[in-house]
Amino acid sequence: MAQVRARNADAFESLYDAYHRLVYGIALRVLADVPAAEDVTQSVFMKLWSAPDLYRSGNFPAWIARVARNRALDVLRGRSLRSESELPESVPEVDSLEDVAFARIDAATVRGALARLPEEQRDPIELGFFGGITHEEIARRSGIPLGTIKTRIRSGLRKLRDALDGAVTA
Amino acid sequence: MNRERHDAMLDDVAVYALGAASPADARRVREHLAQCDDCRAEYAALRPAVGLVATSAEACESGQNGPHASALIKARLMRAVRGDAARSASARGAAIVWPAYLVAAACIAIALGTTVANISGGVRLKTAEAQLQTMQADLDADARRLDESRTTIADLTGADAKRYPVANGTIVARGEHIYLAMHDMPAPPKGRVYQAWTLPKGAKAMAPSVTFVPDAKGVAVVALPQDARATSVVAISVEPDGGSKAPTTKPIAVATLN
Repeated sequence: MAQVRARNADAFESLYDAYHRLVYGIALRVLADVPAAEDVTQSVFMKLWSAPDLYRSGNFPAWIARVARNRALDVLRGRSLRSESELPESVPEVDSLEDVAFARIDAATVRGALARLPEEQRDPIELGFFGGITHEEIARRSGIPLGTIKTRIRSGLRKLRDALDGAVTA
Repeated sequence: MNRERHDAMLDDVAVYALGAASPADARRVREHLAQCDDCRAEYAALRPAVGLVATSAEACESGQNGPHASALIKARLMRAVRGDAARSASARGAAIVWPAYLVAAACIAIALGTTVANISGGVRLKTAEAQLQTMQADLDADARRLDESRTTIADLTGADAKRYPVANGTIVARGEHIYLAMHDMPAPPKGRVYQAWTLPKGAKAMAPSVTFVPDAKGVAVVALPQDARATSVVAISVEPDGGSKAPTTKPIAVATLN
């Protein structure tokens, strides 16, 4: 990122090559619309080039994933794109395992881990992350008590975390 | 906080980590995280799992999310990025990327110089040298204009430029430079022009700056010679052709620089 801040186009291209599938994939999953996902991808990377200081420090993949999700959700909600000040800041704490989640675990492995979650846990997690709706809305739509939804989200995330631990130590 | 409520808070922490908490709940969880070690540890434990959820969406190299779409996006992005990088380098006084016509002209000049060395006879040599000098002067003038254009573009598009919207355009200040970037401007009445005015910091009267007329589409991009760092106000008014020493009409645009 230091090279991108120094207006190095080659460094930016390397960054794009490394992360465009993550950004595009998140946008496509949220929007289910190829042209709209492409627009979000272009917008995220263009913003990264024009305002690289928005990323300050911490886990870059986690940061750009959150930027992609927020931009895609903004489009989904039909709102204008967030202003720079509303963009998520860098992940403040350094979590080596989170780095691993992005760096060493391939998407197919993760999709397998998600698929192995009980549906009652997977659905609220995917709805909450890619659907951009709150747990209250998930509970309202599904007719399941709010407390139950929250507990299922936590249990599901813990199982995913355990799967990550297994993948790292494997 | 009793045990039961604290367990419920751990569930809230999971929802917050996922990014599915309402703004009010998110605020409440953040405040709690600031003072509870157990919940901070739970948050740190669940964050990687949320990273996994994001990673699960990463596009494959084949199928619907295949490389074709990405290649188109990349081509568009890199065209813009490389152009911007070249302009930035030029604005910094770094290596200038010459456009094709300048490269061609330079090649002709070099070839001509080589040829000249082989020409016998003083008259032909002097003629060739004169042509070379004229060509070099033209090249220098083109290079200067190109450099100025690049600086202007870099200033107008720079992330650190300050932009002041006014009627029919924007007044842009970057470093010491001031620009009027105007659009949809009506043509001034016959015998009249637009004139820019600046108020130096600490001064009480506007000082005259350049006059200009927009093109047929109503567009005008004008660089003012005044130093933005020493200027507090920029204005535009309609004045008699040739300009005025003091505004004679009410300004159509005024921007206070800060």
